[in-house]
Amino acid sequence: MNIGDEKPDARSWRKAYGLALSLFAVEVVLLYLFTLRFS
Amino acid sequence: MNRLDYFVLIATILAIPLYGLWRTRGSASLRQYLKGDATIRWATIGLSVLATQAGPITFLSMPGQAYESGIGFIQNYFGQPLALIVVCAVFVPIYQRLKVYTAYQYLGERFDQKTQLLGAFLFLVQRGIAAGITIYAPAIVLSALLGWRLNLTIWLAGGLVIIYTVAGGTKIVSITQRYQMILILVGMAIAFAVAVYRLSPDLSFEGALSVAGKMGKLQAVDFSVDPHKRYTFWSGLIGGFFLALSYFGADQSQVQRYLAGGSLRESRLGLLFNAAVKVPLQFFILLLGAIVFMFYQFEKPPVYFNQPAYERAMENGYGPQLAALQTQFDDVFTQKRAAIRALSNASSNSLSNERDMAMSRLRDLDSQAHQLRDRTKAVLQQAGVDPKSKESDYVFITFILQQMPHGIVGLLIAVILCATMSATAATLNALGSTTAIDFYRPLIRPNASDHHYVVAAKALTATWGLVAIGVASFASLVENLIEAGNILGSVFYGSILGLFLAAFFIRRVSGSAVFFAALLAQALVFILFATTNIGYLWYNFIGCAAVLILATLLHHTVFRSAQVPAGV
Repeated sequence: MNIGDEKPDARSWRKAYGLALSLFAVEVVLLYLFTLRFS
Repeated sequence: MNRLDYFVLIATILAIPLYGLWRTRGSASLRQYLKGDATIRWATIGLSVLATQAGPITFLSMPGQAYESGIGFIQNYFGQPLALIVVCAVFVPIYQRLKVYTAYQYLGERFDQKTQLLGAFLFLVQRGIAAGITIYAPAIVLSALLGWRLNLTIWLAGGLVIIYTVAGGTKIVSITQRYQMILILVGMAIAFAVAVYRLSPDLSFEGALSVAGKMGKLQAVDFSVDPHKRYTFWSGLIGGFFLALSYFGADQSQVQRYLAGGSLRESRLGLLFNAAVKVPLQFFILLLGAIVFMFYQFEKPPVYFNQPAYERAMENGYGPQLAALQTQFDDVFTQKRAAIRALSNASSNSLSNERDMAMSRLRDLDSQAHQLRDRTKAVLQQAGVDPKSKESDYVFITFILQQMPHGIVGLLIAVILCATMSATAATLNALGSTTAIDFYRPLIRPNASDHHYVVAAKALTATWGLVAIGVASFASLVENLIEAGNILGSVFYGSILGLFLAAFFIRRVSGSAVFFAALLAQALVFILFATTNIGYLWYNFIGCAAVLILATLLHHTVFRSAQVPAGV
C-alpha cells in the first residue's frame, strides 16, 4: 500500500496542512489568552 | 409564537427540501444516487460536513451547557483539526482511488468480508440509535415548550427527511445541507447579536465577560491532567483526536459527504475548511450561552427552565412548596444582581478589597441559587413530573421564545429543525447506502441490475428512517442531549477506527486477527463503560489502541499461520 499523495502537487498539500495546523495553534493560543483575561 | 413566526418556520423548512427535489429531479444511476454526480464543489462539501456534525444538539444544548458549566466544552474539538488533516492525507486518497461507495468496502478489499461486515455492523448499530436521538432531542424540548404533540413532532420532522432523502440520495443531502447550514449560521449570528444587545446597560460587553469569567463560565482551556475531568486540553486533544479521526475517517455519514466531491482536491478543501472553522464556530455558540447566562443575571430567570414540568408539579399539588422556593430564589436573585453591580464598580475603580468581598459574596449567592434549583428539581421528582431531558437543554430555547422579536423566533425554531433534518438526512443516506452496499449486494442479490440496487438503497433508506422514528418515539434520555450523542459515539468509534488504522498502518496482519481483536476491544470498552467513570472521550483512544495491540498479538500467536492479504 502506498500511503499519501502521489500527485505532483503533494508539496502544495503539505503547505495547506501546515497552514491549517498553524491556524489551529493560533486558535488555541487565542483561547488560552481569553481564559487568562477573563478568569 | 405568533402567525409571523409560524409563516417563517413553515416557509423555511419546506423551501429548502423543495428546492433540493427540483434540483435532483429525474432518475439516477447507483453511482449518482450514492455519491452525487461529481459536480459538488468544496464549499458545498465543507458546509455539508459541518451540518452533518452539528445537528440540533449543537444549537439547542450547547448554549445551555455553557450557561450551566461554562465554555470548557470547546476543548472537545481540539483534536478535530489534527484528525481532519490526517483524514485528508491518508483516508481520502485511498477511498477516492478505490472508488468505494462506503468506507467499509475498503476493509473488505484490504482484509476479508467478515471484517467489512463487522465495521459496517458497528456503524449501523451506533448510527441507527444516534439517528433516533437526533430526531428525539429537539422534539422533546419543542413539544414541551410549544405545546406540540411529541409523536406528531417526531413524525413531521422525521417524515419530511425520509421523503426527500429517499427521493434524491446523496446529491439532495449535499444541496439541502448547504442552504440549511447557511440559514443556521445566519440564525445563530442574529441570536448572538440580539443577546449582546439585550445585555443590561449597567455593564459593558467587556464588563459582562469579566463578570462571567469570575463566575467560572469562561475557562476555555484547562491543562489539568486529571483523567476524571470530562473537559481538559489533553482529553480534548488526544481523546478528541481519536473520536474525530474515527468520525471523519470511518463513519459513513461523513465519508459519504466528502466522497460526493468531484475530485480529491474538492474533498480535501471541504475538510480543511472544517479544520479551520470548527473551533471558532463552537466557541461562538458556547460564548452565546455565557452571554445568555449574563443576561439572566439582570433579568430574572425562571427558577427551573423546564416550565411545562414545573407547571405540572404546581397542578399536582406541589404549589406551596414551589412558591416558597420561588420566593427564596427571587430574594437571592436580587442580592446577586446587587453583588454583580458592586463587583463591577469595584473592578472599574481598581478597589481590590471591595472587589474580593463582592466576588466572595457573589460566589456564595450563586451557590445558593444552584441549591434552590436543585431543591426545585427534587420537588418536581417528588411530584412525578421528572423531566426526560436535562434542564440546561431548555435554557437557550426559553431565551429565544421569551426574549427574541417575532419573526426571529420562527427563524430560530427553523434553525433547530433544519439542523435536525440535515443531520438526520446524512445519517439515513449513509445507513441506507451501507446496508445496500455492504450487506444486501454481496449477501442477498450479488448480480442484480444497477436500477435494482438504486431501488434497494431507497427502500433501505426509508426503512432506516422508520427505525430512527421508532427509536425517537421510545427514547428516554439519561443525560443531556450533547452527552448522549458523544458517549454513544465514543463507545463504538474506538474499535471502528482501530479496524481502519490496522488496515492502513500494519502491513503484516491477517483479517481474522483484526476481526477478533475488534470484537475483544469492543467488549473491553463495554466493560470499562459499565464499571468505571473515566471521561468518555478516552474510550476512543482505548478502543483503538486495544484493536491495534490485540491484532498484532493475535497475528503472531493464534493466527500465525493465516495468510496475510496483499496491501490495497
